[in-house]
Amino acid sequence: MPKELHEDICDKKRFASIYEKYIKDVHDFLYYKYGGNYSPGDKAQEAFIKLWENCKKVAFSKARSFLFTVANNMMLNEIKHQKVVLQYQKVKPKDYTYENPEFLLEKEQFLQQYQKALGNLSEEQRVAFTLSKIEGKKHSEIAEMLGVTQKVVEYRIYSAFDKLKSELKGFKLK
Amino acid sequence: MDKDYLIKKWLTNDLTEEEQNAFEALEDHDLHIAIIEEGKRFKASNFSDVPNFDQLEGRLEQKIPVRKLAWKRKLTIAASLLLVSFATYFLLFTDNLEHFETLATEKTTIELPDGSMATLNALTEVSYSEKKWEQKRALALNGEAYFKVAKGKVFDVITSEGTVTVVGTEFNVKQRKDYFEVICYEGIVKVVSGSHTHELTAGKTFRIYMGDASLNTTSNELPKWTLNISEFKAVPFKEVVNELERQYDISVTYDPGYAERLFTGGFVHNDLENALESLTSPQDLNYKIESSNQVRLTNGDR
Repeated sequence: MPKELHEDICDKKRFASIYEKYIKDVHDFLYYKYGGNYSPGDKAQEAFIKLWENCKKVAFSKARSFLFTVANNMMLNEIKHQKVVLQYQKVKPKDYTYENPEFLLEKEQFLQQYQKALGNLSEEQRVAFTLSKIEGKKHSEIAEMLGVTQKVVEYRIYSAFDKLKSELKGFKLK
Repeated sequence: MDKDYLIKKWLTNDLTEEEQNAFEALEDHDLHIAIIEEGKRFKASNFSDVPNFDQLEGRLEQKIPVRKLAWKRKLTIAASLLLVSFATYFLLFTDNLEHFETLATEKTTIELPDGSMATLNALTEVSYSEKKWEQKRALALNGEAYFKVAKGKVFDVITSEGTVTVVGTEFNVKQRKDYFEVICYEGIVKVVSGSHTHELTAGKTFRIYMGDASLNTTSNELPKWTLNISEFKAVPFKEVVNELERQYDISVTYDPGYAERLFTGGFVHNDLENALESLTSPQDLNYKIESSNQVRLTNGDR
């Protein structure tokens, strides 16, 4: 058995470093899964508070999966399932000064449709797709975060993409 | 090339150059790229802040009262555990004593928890508490035993006739009816019996018979009974016969007039006739083995 380097995470400094390492992942996970309406930042912190309270029982190597599980459960306790609406950055006209207004309008419609399509994905599909393609996480990392195999992650990304594509098909983008 | 296959490989960033070209030639290529590129507009960090650690620290501090309660609960648990363990402790140590006893003709050696040895003569009982041994080396004795005590704290042998206290030494304690004898073979032994307190050095013996105390000496290095010989020095004949009865599990009848005579000598433990001969001949007595466990001593007219 490999020996744990830091058995105990009750030390404030060590805990702070774990926080810096994982807070964004936990937050993003909650955000993409449940949307921005349930203050994913707060929930992510509450997961860390739980971790702090259990710091004696949770080994360093188990902290990450502990955080994801706790954060997810906390969120589930609170929300009644609603459609997830992820915000998107509005198309700023100055980015596309050479485009005509018609194009801008179409782009805006495309993004609105994209928003709906993301909401229509299953939580699993959305989390895998966004973490991979938007946050640029490696498949192996996502697999570890979600506690599934890499193959499952790849399948979820593909099926999410497939669904998005079928809902966005009608748009002419050039 | 299969379209789905290409998309899958593209999504895992696994396209070869040739496949890349085929993928770019797909009719939905623009849409594929748009889904990924425009998707970036939904990036979490644009809309939701990741709180920093200082914020968390504030929240952790607010939680402190809760943690205190948790401590209180832990203390309660600890206190009750302590209580239970005390109760168990007393239950165990009032009743749970190690107990050894020998039958007539039997001898045995026991090892005490600290490595001290106690050799028990026939019809002897000892008891001690194994758990308490570390704090207090004490042993209750009823009968006769020879002790080789390991170095260490005070070692007590408690008998109905008195207490023998030693520190690392070899000694014999004999406690029989009306008879109490301590022989020190090595070191110093302190004997407290009623009003008598004596410190015995090596080779000294202390005896109380019928309330009379006497000091004597021995040249033996260890009690002869451990070598299967009983030896006596000016001991009332009654006591010698009692010892014979214990060693052979027999009953001996004899003229009560001999009971208080002092006897010096001994007998072996493994040959009854030999033993009887050595007891009777110096005293002008005859013996008769009447059955397997009955012996009669008669006044001799040889």
